[in-house]
Amino acid sequence: MTDFQHQAIRLTSMQRPETWLESLRTKAADDWLAQPWPTRKTEHWKYTPLQNLQKTILHAWGREEVPLLDTLLENNLAPLNAYRLIFIDGVFDPFNSSKLPAEVVQFSKANEDQQAVVLKYLGTIIEGERHLFATLSNAWLDDGVLIHVPRNQKLDKPVYIVNVSTAAPVTTNQRVLIVLEENSSAEIVEHYFSADPVQQGFVNSLTEIHIGDNASLQHYRLNLEEEQAQHIGAVHVDLQRNARLRGFAIALGASLMRIDYQLNHRGQGGELDLQGVYVPRNNQLVDYHTNICHWVPHCRSNEAFRGIVGDSAQAIFNGRIYIHQHAQKTLAELSNKNLLTSSKAEVNTKPELEIYADDVRCAHGATVSQLNTNARYYLQSRGLSRSEAEVMLSFGFINELLEQIAQPVVHDYLQPRLAALFGRDNSLNEASSLLGDSNG
Amino acid sequence: MSEQVEHLIKKEYAAGFHTNIVSETLPPGLNEDVIRFISAKKSEPEWLLDWRLKAYKAWQEMSEPTWAHVNYDEIDFQAVSYYSAPKSMDEKPKSLDEVDPELLRTYEKLGIPLHEQAALAGVAMDVVFDSVSVVTTFREKLLEAGVIFCSISEAVQKYPELIKKYLGSVVPQKDNFYAALNSAVFSDGSFVYIPKGVRCPMELSTYFRINEQNTGQFERTLIVAEEGSYVSYLEGCTAPMRDENQLHAAVVELVALDNAEIKYSTVQNWYPGNEEGKGGIYNFVTKRGVCHTNAKISWTQVETGSAVTWKYPSCVLRGDNSVGEFYSVALTNNYQQADTGTKMIHIGKNTRSTIISKGISAGKSSNAYRGLVRINPGAEGARNYTQCDSLLIGDKCGAHTFPYIESKNPTAVIEHEATTSKVSEDQMFLCQQRGLDAEKAVSMIVNGFCREVFKELPMEFAVEAGKLLEVSLEGSVG
Repeated sequence: MTDFQHQAIRLTSMQRPETWLESLRTKAADDWLAQPWPTRKTEHWKYTPLQNLQKTILHAWGREEVPLLDTLLENNLAPLNAYRLIFIDGVFDPFNSSKLPAEVVQFSKANEDQQAVVLKYLGTIIEGERHLFATLSNAWLDDGVLIHVPRNQKLDKPVYIVNVSTAAPVTTNQRVLIVLEENSSAEIVEHYFSADPVQQGFVNSLTEIHIGDNASLQHYRLNLEEEQAQHIGAVHVDLQRNARLRGFAIALGASLMRIDYQLNHRGQGGELDLQGVYVPRNNQLVDYHTNICHWVPHCRSNEAFRGIVGDSAQAIFNGRIYIHQHAQKTLAELSNKNLLTSSKAEVNTKPELEIYADDVRCAHGATVSQLNTNARYYLQSRGLSRSEAEVMLSFGFINELLEQIAQPVVHDYLQPRLAALFGRDNSLNEASSLLGDSNG
Repeated sequence: MSEQVEHLIKKEYAAGFHTNIVSETLPPGLNEDVIRFISAKKSEPEWLLDWRLKAYKAWQEMSEPTWAHVNYDEIDFQAVSYYSAPKSMDEKPKSLDEVDPELLRTYEKLGIPLHEQAALAGVAMDVVFDSVSVVTTFREKLLEAGVIFCSISEAVQKYPELIKKYLGSVVPQKDNFYAALNSAVFSDGSFVYIPKGVRCPMELSTYFRINEQNTGQFERTLIVAEEGSYVSYLEGCTAPMRDENQLHAAVVELVALDNAEIKYSTVQNWYPGNEEGKGGIYNFVTKRGVCHTNAKISWTQVETGSAVTWKYPSCVLRGDNSVGEFYSVALTNNYQQADTGTKMIHIGKNTRSTIISKGISAGKSSNAYRGLVRINPGAEGARNYTQCDSLLIGDKCGAHTFPYIESKNPTAVIEHEATTSKVSEDQMFLCQQRGLDAEKAVSMIVNGFCREVFKELPMEFAVEAGKLLEVSLEGSVG
């Protein structure tokens, strides 16, 4: 048990949670204190040091007032026609948020039926043992967002959850629960960004998703925070019979950026596609840990992550596929490709397969390399400068995944921003903007 | 089909007999006196005893590694006997004629010819029985070429400066729990020294046999290939069938100096335990080689035996342009567990490594590939290609892949691929439709699956490996 663990629990006394959440909180607080603090010898934290986080002084979240941010609206996905929920440092901003439909509600405003849904699902999808910070999220639980789509219904517009972090050194606990009942469908975008380049707070975020029989979900998680951010996040998903998930994740990198995906196939015929992009630079770190568990037969998983790591940045990718003894006829694929663009950059990747059923087809692949010099030569021979060619090739490397984003607004938002990222040199802005336009 | 496969997997372990021979065996237990006894038995110089004791001290402070994907009851290291030798070996026999005929019969039964005239021309053998080396063949012929091939105890006496220089230089005493244990109590093993520019005229081979009950075997192999030399070394092993588990903790060190090449092949066939998973050898081995400039080390292993295998033959590619290779077939059946793979540490520029690993799991076994490819910041232009394929036979076994890839140099190119599948019905149908029975079909498919590795083995071994695989798979086709 560390001081950080104690400190974290002390914060809970400053909250005023709903009484009906109390039992989950108390149990989680005990679990959190009982679990050992991860070190370099803890397999899941082997490459990601937590020393800095441990030194961070946690400040309670302000519940009272919402700071007004002018910059806020410039940064978000303005053209997206969606139900908007805006949180600033974890505090709900009713002024900038839209009027919410019946399917979307904050835990604190939930009616009895909705409370019942929360109680039924909240905390049941996560596996605490593997996910220390999910336990913390439970312990810190005082409010959250419930998206509950009843049977045979489709949310008419996407739900867009914006989380803005300011320079204030506050701790944020962001909790989302998505419950799609049988035969329903929804599209949800979670967007994290910083309003200020200076960021001293710590964000712990957790999204739990239940996808019922025949239901389908499109889910986006954009972690576009500034360099100093410290964010530990997770997405835990249960897929029931014939459920479908299309997920997309992107992280720019920060001083600590760790995102876990825990995906469980719990009903036959489930299908999931998960794509991810990470582009850490300078001294940043990105750590994606994904764990796809096939508990039942006849499911399909397809996962692809790509990263470009520059400067002195570090990227960690750990992709596990677990096939239970009963999960016959599984098809699972995972690919992880990395580009290293600087001699000080570092990539640690570990695609894992753990298979206990024989009639399955599973494959994974991982590559680490720099830009293909032949491809660069080809572009240069066509009259592009060396740096233009590099921008184009780097961008092209991740653009393959961006092109598969189904939501056009998210696609159009990300593409020029990523293109600009590789054209840091001013003279190249033209090249990168060209790329953004032509592809957009 | 499944019945035939079932039948195929169940074949008995052929090398499971016990040799009745009077042995001098230390009572179980490990303490400094045991180490002093072993050292004195081998009339070792003072420095080696100190070296052992240092390892023992380090070992006492270490704890057993638990990260491997294997489960077994805790080992009581005080219940193991750390030295056992046939009584007849007390007076070192000067020639084969003086060796106890019972011992010779053991090897005859195993199909290992010790009489030079009967031996396959071109393979020199060192035979280790429990804790001692029994005989080394073709020594004179090898000496003509300047090649030293003898037991490590003999080398300590005859070539102390070489031993002092290289022992522990690749696998230090404190490297890991089992290496430390081995460093403290190693009893025998082989020593090979190939002088500058010499191409070893024949294959060298060591055969390890555990015979006595409740003993552990702790051998240490050291191979030094001087500049521009070449050697191909083979290793084989068997043990009697017993209900209790026996410990085998070996250390192998390879040093390939500039432009040298070492080819190290292993066919591991320790007793795997019975169908219920009772008995069998715990095979906890540390194997590592260092490559200097332009040198090459190639590990080839066929792992069919042992109850639990924990083994990662590794290459430290220290010199520029050096090459590391790892070819492995690991087959597990019944309750066997294997956690095996390799480490390729790229330090020098333009270093290259290839990893081909084929895992076959049958019965209720568990088979894991665990590998590390590390590219250090200075390894400009390093290249790695890894391919791990797993084949599952039966729905109660497990196949796992844990590859660690760590790159700190942008000019390095690393590729990793892994697949897992079963013997497909299409393949079976195709073979059967052309007139092969199910058993032959599976055998053919499995052999084809392993082909890339088998072709790296020396000829005699490739034949043996192929047969071994058939034997071990017997009864698993389903």
